[in-house]
Amino acid sequence: MTAVLEVKDLTKRFRGVVALDGVSFEVRPHEVVGLIGENGAGKSTLLKVLTGIYQPDAGVVLRNGEPVTFRNSSDAARAGIGMVHQEQSLVTSVSVAENILLGAEGDAVRFGFYNWPKLNAVAQRQLDKIASAISPTTIVEKLSFAERQLVELAKAMYVEEGAQVEPVIILDEPTSVLEGAELETLFAQIDRLRQIASVIFVSHRLEEVLRVSDRVYVLKDGRSVGETDAASADIDLLHRLMVGRESSAQFYHEDEQLPVDEAPVKLQVKNLTRAGQFEDVSFDVRAGEVVGIAGVIGSGREELSRVLFGAEPSTSGSIVVDGKPVKFASPVDAVSSGFGYIPAERRIEGIADGLSVAENIFLVAPQTAAWGPFRNPKKALEIAGAWIKRLRIRTPDERTNVGNLSGGNQQKVVLAKWLNSPELEVLILDHPTRGLDVGAKEDVYIFVREQCAKGMAVVLLADSLEETIALSHTILVMRDGRIERRFDAPAGSKPKPVDLVERMV
Amino acid sequence: MTLMNRRTDEAAADPSTAALRAIVPATGRSWRDRLTPLIPLVVLIALVLVITIKQPNFLSLYSMRGLLESVAPLLLLALGQMFVILTGGIDLAFAAVASFGTVLLALWIPDMGPGGIVLALLVTSLIGFVNGFVVAKAQVPSFIVTLGALGLYSGIGLWISGASTIRLSEGYDVVGWLADLRIAQLPASGLLAIVIAVVIAVLMGTLRRGRALHALGLAEPAVLMSGISTVRLRILAFTLSGLFSGLAAVMLVALQRSGGPSLADSMQLPAIAAVVIGGTAITGGVGGAMKTLVGALIIVVLRVGLSAVGVDPAWEQVFYGAVIVAAVALTIDRSRLRSIK
Amino acid sequence: MTHPPTVDERRLSPRVRRLIADAGPLVALIVLIVVFAVANPVFVSPGNIGILLSQAAVPLVIATGLTFVILLGGIDLSIEGVVATSSLVFALTVANDRNDLALGLFGALLAVLAGSVFGLANGLANVKLGIPSFMATLGLGAVGIGIATVLFAGRSPRVLDSGMRMLGQGSTLGIANIFLIAVLVLVIGWFVQRFTRLGRYGYVIGGDEAVARLSGVRVGRYKIGAFVLGGTASGIAGVLLGSQLGVGMPTIGSGTMFTAITAVVLGGTLLTGGRGGVLRSFVGVLIIVVLANGLILIGVNPYAQVAVQGLVIIAAVVATGWRLRTRVRIIK
Repeated sequence: MTAVLEVKDLTKRFRGVVALDGVSFEVRPHEVVGLIGENGAGKSTLLKVLTGIYQPDAGVVLRNGEPVTFRNSSDAARAGIGMVHQEQSLVTSVSVAENILLGAEGDAVRFGFYNWPKLNAVAQRQLDKIASAISPTTIVEKLSFAERQLVELAKAMYVEEGAQVEPVIILDEPTSVLEGAELETLFAQIDRLRQIASVIFVSHRLEEVLRVSDRVYVLKDGRSVGETDAASADIDLLHRLMVGRESSAQFYHEDEQLPVDEAPVKLQVKNLTRAGQFEDVSFDVRAGEVVGIAGVIGSGREELSRVLFGAEPSTSGSIVVDGKPVKFASPVDAVSSGFGYIPAERRIEGIADGLSVAENIFLVAPQTAAWGPFRNPKKALEIAGAWIKRLRIRTPDERTNVGNLSGGNQQKVVLAKWLNSPELEVLILDHPTRGLDVGAKEDVYIFVREQCAKGMAVVLLADSLEETIALSHTILVMRDGRIERRFDAPAGSKPKPVDLVERMV
Repeated sequence: MTLMNRRTDEAAADPSTAALRAIVPATGRSWRDRLTPLIPLVVLIALVLVITIKQPNFLSLYSMRGLLESVAPLLLLALGQMFVILTGGIDLAFAAVASFGTVLLALWIPDMGPGGIVLALLVTSLIGFVNGFVVAKAQVPSFIVTLGALGLYSGIGLWISGASTIRLSEGYDVVGWLADLRIAQLPASGLLAIVIAVVIAVLMGTLRRGRALHALGLAEPAVLMSGISTVRLRILAFTLSGLFSGLAAVMLVALQRSGGPSLADSMQLPAIAAVVIGGTAITGGVGGAMKTLVGALIIVVLRVGLSAVGVDPAWEQVFYGAVIVAAVALTIDRSRLRSIK
Repeated sequence: MTHPPTVDERRLSPRVRRLIADAGPLVALIVLIVVFAVANPVFVSPGNIGILLSQAAVPLVIATGLTFVILLGGIDLSIEGVVATSSLVFALTVANDRNDLALGLFGALLAVLAGSVFGLANGLANVKLGIPSFMATLGLGAVGIGIATVLFAGRSPRVLDSGMRMLGQGSTLGIANIFLIAVLVLVIGWFVQRFTRLGRYGYVIGGDEAVARLSGVRVGRYKIGAFVLGGTASGIAGVLLGSQLGVGMPTIGSGTMFTAITAVVLGGTLLTGGRGGVLRSFVGVLIIVVLANGLILIGVNPYAQVAVQGLVIIAAVVATGWRLRTRVRIIK
């Protein structure tokens, strides 16, 4: 039987970084295909290619055996591919029917005029397909999150009308905010979908993937590294496939990891809670220690790192630095307590695009090159030059706009900005190597080791499990907003990635 | 190490591509980066030349005096506005606050003398502070807050002045020297305003945090995440705008010998035009006091020039409006606008 | 980060807030009417109600058009300039004491069209040149005042066409024509908002522009369309004012923009876009007009009202923006 959707050797690069590296998979009629992989494995890029938001650099997409090219999302919709987005894409201020038909109203809008009965009838038809009792005239903002997801599903089903083929419905992390009964409803919904469509189910919750899927593909580093029948697979197998290769101790400079058992405790986090994001998180970080926090999207670790830096408020609990409790109303307070933060959103929160490399370096601690309230240009030039040399920042000179550097060099400028502050004692690294090439990654690892040797306390949210394991002294695995398990990771006897994955999903 | 790692390693190790990316700025940028800042100055010089050819007495002492006098309040208003525009915001209330300031000055100087000036400057600074506080704390667009403030202070100004001009006779000497004093035969008012612009430019160029407002306009999240209080910076910019509205009010009262509830209102557009035509980007982060000075001179020279070549002054408004739209369209950095509203 | 804002909204009881947003302005209007009626019975006399309605007409026309622009999260600061130009085009093309033109109704249409052209220019500047709407409309508003000043040429042209003067000065069945026209504009506005793509997509784009783009909506043309509606409404307002006062002049629109923005905001249309509507703006206009009229009747300084309108705008934007505050957000 021909696959309803087949992907062959799909490749996509961003600024030289490979996101999809020859991925291949197929979806057969009336099949639910599970798609799993770590953060950064290429899932979201693949979905964006399938829905026409990105165009692949190489490879083909076949729809019912025919090669297709999607230049935009409408092309994908016309080919009968519908998607339920992880972050909902409904306009909350208009009705359910308007959302379902948005941009493709067809006969329901003639010469710019709305035929409401018709519009509502078409929408009702989509809602009927998924047996939903939601009225098409309801304004979306009055619906609950789970109800809105059903509307998204109905919207995804609507591609069937334009395409005149059985649709392929992509569900991107549909379960991440659902619980209990809502979850059961969704599973029943997917079973119903199976009768009238083919489904790609993307999730990091492996039990759920195994439960609803017929077959499962495992993505890693932009490639499909495994394919298995859900019936014959177990979670252990999926874990092993997801993790894949063993880490390289040399690459991560593991031999430079120093023991910290004797070092004083620098940072204590006690019962820290942010309602709806994470709760009751407690841990200590010693001077010179790297505490790695592992967890999937939605585990609460990103939010935790932002609360630690004062970028979001906590609901309860406390942060203690050098034995003294501190309160961070904003990052301003965190920085004056000796905290630094390397953000995941480097281009937005890391570099100040438009300012020079030197100006970026002195954003945090301008007093390091000053005469009283005035700038000391000569000293600034010296210090900036020294950082450029030490971190091997590739830039024509200090005056170059930081926005014109490559990602890795921008990241090094952000590092220099913090290291230039004499008060820095605690560094929060939020995906410090995201989007960097291997050489720049290694520079970051060397840098982390150096700082630890000097007594810096580091909280690390790494890009991959290997990175977490290799760099950390201690690993905290977070799941659904709580610390699930704490692992010791001394040099030479590191935990296995599979052990962590088990606790993450 | 895996194949993929090695492959990317090779790409990274190739210095030519990485260095190229760093040295060659994005397309179109180099031209703009180098030439755009000079355009206003070239325009100013060209304008002066053209007008001098048509009207040789344009460069006379007499017309220079007129030019300097009319540039004084305009430049002060434009400098105040510049601080806010640098942060990426706008202060639509500034001219109304200046008008309000002239009313306060005309009411207070007769009784309080110099104390009245200090008090009026405090009040206009406080107005700016409150505007900035509301914008920064409530995180709402500055144009709408300051539009509300525009109504608020115009209303109060009209109310307490009885909607009429208040002549200042008793105590005028306190500000009168600004209008009368000549330095090297030139009016002190204009020279003082220019000196203030130069001082601001020097301070912004040499202070440790002199470029903080620029940084805020360019990359607010990065500035906040570097531990700099963006709330305080934003409030500072609006407070400075209020203070400079007050200074412009002092200048106006000195030149006009009176205060009035709409005395400075007509300067709203020319002052904004001066800022943007000088090359300060409405998106924030790019610009400075010398640019604003050039912009203010262009506006004043053009005003004189238009009448010199016989254009009906009625066209002035059309011209300001068109200049604002054109200058903004030319200087705007579209990559910084995620959604244009 | 990935959680929808609904999580926070739930805690603040959205039902109550929605109720306040929906019924609040109407309740406020009724309370105001009752208070003024008690304070001074003249307020509800037929004569005063007639005055109220004709006072409401021009703000209603402008606010109806402005609602479409604000629904997109934009603003139109060119209103007074457009009204001024329109009033002069009207006064100079119908029978007048300045020239020999006497185009009658066609002259009025030309004046309205002038408003539409300004709206188109606003939209193009915003969409095609990428200039934020407050800046584009501020500039083009000045152009409007300027053109009006040039046409004005130092002396107000007087409207001599009696038919055209009846538009603004006459009444039908005891109701001022000007108010009837305004209601007609409102009804058309409501129809556009409810039954046309221009109106519906306004909500979609104002609510979530990214989703609209992803769904293949040609965002730019609908934005331009909204500005054209706004400009057209200002053009109509210019004709009505020109007819009512019998002259065209550059300052004829003074204060109208402020009243209109306040009315739209008071009615409950969010300045951030996506929520609101022309009927709400109607309630907002009535509140403003009742307040203005009532305060004068009980002897409050009229200039204080301008100040109060300014405060209302600030308070409304703070109130709607307050719950959307986050620690790290770009504001301009």
